[in-house]
Amino acid sequence: MWLYIVRRLILLVPIIIGVMTITFVLVSALPISNRLTAVYGDPSPRATWVYNPTLNPGQGPCPGLPNTHTCSNPVYQRDIHALGLDQPVPVQWGIYIFNSLTFQWGTVSNHSSAAILISSIHGLPVITVLSWYLPYTIELAVLSLLIILVISIPLGNLSAVNRNRPVDQAARIMSFSGFALPGFLLASLVLTAFVIGVGSNTGYHVYSPWCPSGATLYGEFTGSWPVSSCFGGIGGATSYPSWIHNNGIYSTPTGFPTVDALIAGQYWLALDTIIRMILPALVIAFGTIAILLRFVRNSMLEVMNLDFVRTARSEGIPERTVIKRHAGRNSLNVTITVMGLLFAFFIGGFPIIEEVFNLNGVGLMLAYSVQNSSGPIDFSLVFGTTLLFTFIVVFANIIVDVLYAYLDPRVRLG
Amino acid sequence: MEAGVATGSSPPGPARRGRRPNPRIEQWKRTWYFLRRNTLSLVGLGILLFFVALAIYAVTQPLPWDQLNTFCSTNQGSGAPNSCLPGQNQICTYTAGTTPPHAGCYQTPASYPSVVPPTLTASPLSTGPLPLGSLTILPSGNLYFSIYQGLLRGVDWTLMISVAIVGGGAIAGLFLGAISGFYGGVVDETIMRIVDVFLSIPQLLFVIIVISVVGTTTTSIFGLAPTATKAVLLILGFMAVWWPFYARLVRGQVLVVREQKYVEAARASGASKGRIVARHIVPNSVYPVFIQMSLDVGTVPLLIAALVFLGFLLFPTLYFPEWGTLAALSVTQIGAFLTDCQVGICYIPWWQLVFPGLALFLYAIAVNFLADGLRDALDPRLRR
Repeated sequence: MWLYIVRRLILLVPIIIGVMTITFVLVSALPISNRLTAVYGDPSPRATWVYNPTLNPGQGPCPGLPNTHTCSNPVYQRDIHALGLDQPVPVQWGIYIFNSLTFQWGTVSNHSSAAILISSIHGLPVITVLSWYLPYTIELAVLSLLIILVISIPLGNLSAVNRNRPVDQAARIMSFSGFALPGFLLASLVLTAFVIGVGSNTGYHVYSPWCPSGATLYGEFTGSWPVSSCFGGIGGATSYPSWIHNNGIYSTPTGFPTVDALIAGQYWLALDTIIRMILPALVIAFGTIAILLRFVRNSMLEVMNLDFVRTARSEGIPERTVIKRHAGRNSLNVTITVMGLLFAFFIGGFPIIEEVFNLNGVGLMLAYSVQNSSGPIDFSLVFGTTLLFTFIVVFANIIVDVLYAYLDPRVRLG
Repeated sequence: MEAGVATGSSPPGPARRGRRPNPRIEQWKRTWYFLRRNTLSLVGLGILLFFVALAIYAVTQPLPWDQLNTFCSTNQGSGAPNSCLPGQNQICTYTAGTTPPHAGCYQTPASYPSVVPPTLTASPLSTGPLPLGSLTILPSGNLYFSIYQGLLRGVDWTLMISVAIVGGGAIAGLFLGAISGFYGGVVDETIMRIVDVFLSIPQLLFVIIVISVVGTTTTSIFGLAPTATKAVLLILGFMAVWWPFYARLVRGQVLVVREQKYVEAARASGASKGRIVARHIVPNSVYPVFIQMSLDVGTVPLLIAALVFLGFLLFPTLYFPEWGTLAALSVTQIGAFLTDCQVGICYIPWWQLVFPGLALFLYAIAVNFLADGLRDALDPRLRR
């Protein structure tokens, strides 16, 4: 098995290099001026100088540009050199691959939407920023997976046992509708329903132990942390522990918000964090139950036709026990495989859900970084996220394969 | 097949001796028979046919674009943003108690949220200061049109773009997958490793990267107009995302079909390689592709909606009110209304959420039901 894992890890290198080559090709397709703008913002200091023999004596006109221009703008030259864009393309590719593999993913440029919306990430390394935001997404993914697991395994078994009966049809329709309803729409509908249904025109307030002054319902169900306008919480007037930044960026000790709150002994904060996660997790779960339900149902149907199930039945074991012990357990292999892949896919971010609910996860970071309304796209951040997700997906594939072989001894790795 | 489930008739079997109808027609009959037995897929088919009829109706209706129920804020022809098109009512406001200057003017509410424009005094369902069925198009909140009109005009565009996008990816995948499966060896290895690479990139992110990178450098591909270029870009972006799935699917299928007796027979009777691929292998490995395509067609508007929601407004909505775009724009607006709701001004344009969402939902679920039925009808191994 260890040999297999090592071999898979070695095979992983060309895939990651391939992904990075694709992103490299895409970036190289951009004109140099665009790439400089994406990193340094405002293009005017790098604009080609107007050729003026009295101001810049000794400099000829720039080749490829009109006679009136010179290409020796020192800012332009400096920036090009700093990014290595004056190197030959294969060397640039090598640098790109090396930096990617050594986690030097560049910095968040100051002009990017993400940096504007979350001011405290200005100019920080992309990998640091991602490491701040990843734990929240992992917690959200775990919670959603738990919900999916709790719903889809019993429901899948039920619909396999009652195949083509009304229960089965109802489960299918439900799972299809989860698939057909876009997440952002469901999220907004849920939020709106909560605000309309429980709130009123005058702004309904929720008075909780952690926010005795009352928070609006919208504020109570969005955001990763209590709204900053909530005063007088148990934690004091500011109601924030010292390790939480106003922007929700938190660094110590583990980075996982719930765990950190528990370590700090602020149980109300941990509770609040989980409560805020429930609604988004339900929305995510509703959208993905369809996938797991179908797998559970199919693998259950397959297992129920196998010989050992028939033997168990003929031995007079009650049907309930047969389904639970014999068929159910053996159909779990596929389920666990799909769960692993779903988890990787989940960490790939729910940019939309996180944006609707305003949660501080990698998805929100991604959503902010690609919003090109307020400036050029922050390519460092976008490509950094791409790389991170690729790593996660590829590693999850390996883990799932190994787990599959562990759970089903008949499967031989090789 | 269980007895009693089939309602009266039995599946059209192989042709009887004596008369021999076209086998393809026989096969279609059989497919239709199995499809008919699945109620859900019939419902899906019905919804899709309704949408197609709606699209035909919308196209044949002599509705010029500028007759959309749009509103504009500045004088006609001034060239300013939101300036009126010919035939549009200019938005005007008047304070309560005075007479309106002309038809189409709205009383200024005592206070309205910053994103809400001057609007109808009395709306049918007392929805606050918003015309029922309106949709804000621009973030500046000045251009409006009826959501119902938008949905009607968007049917044909939605259907076309989803078929085009999925078709592009499927054709590329079919081609590469067939080559990979048929030739094997180095060709197969190379294509499959490339597939692996593409499969490990997150889908939506990849489309975003392709669109943003290519979109910033080129405003026109193949000499097309900017909007058409964006459509082509979108198709290319999704093609890049979807071809690996289809390539893998087709390859697996081709590997099975390649070893079948009839292919061997064709080879033995001296058929050329091209003929074997085109007449024997591809037709026999194409059904899973159809099924996968019919599943994917439903997700295209959802993905476009996700893109628009993330800030990639690809099409000018006034002219191409694609459903995903409509839904995403509506949802983007809702956030502002909900925020305003906190400070006591609580007007929620629920129709903005419900109707585009319902259209998207019906489309996706109809396609899914139909695909489910097709899978049963086309794949004998899954027949119940």
